Amino acid sequence: MTRLRVDWPACRGRGLCQEVFPELIDLDEWGYPVLDGPVPDDQVARARDAVRVCPTLALRLVGG
Amino acid sequence: MRPASPVPVAGPYDVVPGPALLAGTAEGPGLAAHRDRHGPLPDLDLDTLLDLTTRARVRGRGGAGFPFATKLRAAAGRRRPVVVVNAGEGEPASAKDAALVGAAPHLVLDGAVTTARALGAREVHLVLPGERPDVAAALRFAARERDDRLRVHAHVADARFVAGQETAVLELLAGRPGFPVTAWQPASVAGHRRRPTVLSNAETWAHVGLLAHRGVAGYARHGTDREPGTTLLTLAVRGRRATVREVPYGARLRDVLPPEAWGQPALLGGFHGSWVTWETLASLRVSVDRLRALGTPLGAGVVLVPAPGECPLRLTSRIVDYLAGQSAGRCGPCLNGLPALASALRAVAAGSGRTDRLTALAGLVERRGACAHPDGTARLARSLLAALLGEVDAHLRGGCPALAGTALGAPTRRLHAVPAAPEGAA
Ligand code: SF4
Ligand code: SF4
Repeated sequence: MTRLRVDWPACRGRGLCQEVFPELIDLDEWGYPVLDGPVPDDQVARARDAVRVCPTLALRLVGG
Repeated sequence: MRPASPVPVAGPYDVVPGPALLAGTAEGPGLAAHRDRHGPLPDLDLDTLLDLTTRARVRGRGGAGFPFATKLRAAAGRRRPVVVVNAGEGEPASAKDAALVGAAPHLVLDGAVTTARALGAREVHLVLPGERPDVAAALRFAARERDDRLRVHAHVADARFVAGQETAVLELLAGRPGFPVTAWQPASVAGHRRRPTVLSNAETWAHVGLLAHRGVAGYARHGTDREPGTTLLTLAVRGRRATVREVPYGARLRDVLPPEAWGQPALLGGFHGSWVTWETLASLRVSVDRLRALGTPLGAGVVLVPAPGECPLRLTSRIVDYLAGQSAGRCGPCLNGLPALASALRAVAAGSGRTDRLTALAGLVERRGACAHPDGTARLARSLLAALLGEVDAHLRGGCPALAGTALGAPTRRLHAVPAAPEGAA
């Protein structure tokens, strides 16, 4: 099962990840990502996009 | 300004001699007395140590209750392992590791040294509490009394609440400020400088030491079949000296609590713990498994009781104010969420807040930080609603019954005793 994990001290809460993957990523009231469960198999490419756009390299795909 | 802890940091405490770790400590903490009592340190190979700690079900006494043997097994067979003794408590209400290091430092070191030898580790790191220089000195002194043919390094942790978190300790060891960072792998696999690291709290090491000396049968003379041995508790009634006691697993909590605690709700597990009513508390036995199953984990063994008549809501609010100030401020949800949680709780304690806001904020901080600080703080807030909902409702309907000392409308049920002088023990 693949999941997105946030390196919280690195995350700056700009929300770019949410823009590219809004189906799985929400933002809380302060602008930080809220991850809604594991990444469905057919959405792994989207999750990779989210990882790629993060300016602080705070997102990782983990598990397999 | 960071809000101060409602329980003094590094406050005074009494120690009650105990049946195992704290037995015979009247002869003093020196090495000679220790060897007289326990004999020479046996040399155990890894399989034997794994077997002993598995059968005796040794679990971490730092709060999480993680099985020691699982850590040891994960580190075994990897290159250049490291052993770390965490003697810092972080939690202001806890004094048990300080008491243990003061009374039996060599039992702590025996556990670490046996494990280092079994693993083939050449390095042992001691993490000393910055807020208790006497404890730090006692452990340094004990380490110098021995010659274990290991490299022993001492580090002093900051007196910050989160300084004891595992990754914060690893940062400190690496020469960086001791703030938690994201762990992508367990420390037992990739810890200190990415080397396999068996990091446990001082009490855990003392249990390993005792087990090495006594074997499973001797160790299991106390406790229950499922949970052999003893555990250290810090029993603290606010405004009084805390007491550190060693109790066998299976002991009834009410039998070990001081009379001033009777009839009062208590915070089980300390600042990251859970409220339980006196009725529940009186029925509980000391058990990692049972208390976890009930949703009120024992944590690092703190039982914190409000001062007689003190309002538990206001106490919780003060604790969360303090905890919010202890956030290392590096993770967005913790940096923003804990102060929001603190202010929501202040509002509830003042009779004007909303419990659904509290619950929502608790949900927003859980599992959303580099360390367990937001989770522990959320647990505390949630437990207030779970255990003391009647009290919370009374505040929302008519303000604090303890503070007002007046009827909430007839017929009044006093939810907790009314103090002679409100907040007198603060
Ligand atoms: S893009 Fe990166 S920094 Fe921005 S909110 Fe997402 S995880 Fe955080
Ligand atoms: S979760 Fe909070 S206390 Fe823990 S590292 Fe992040 S900001 Fe610091």
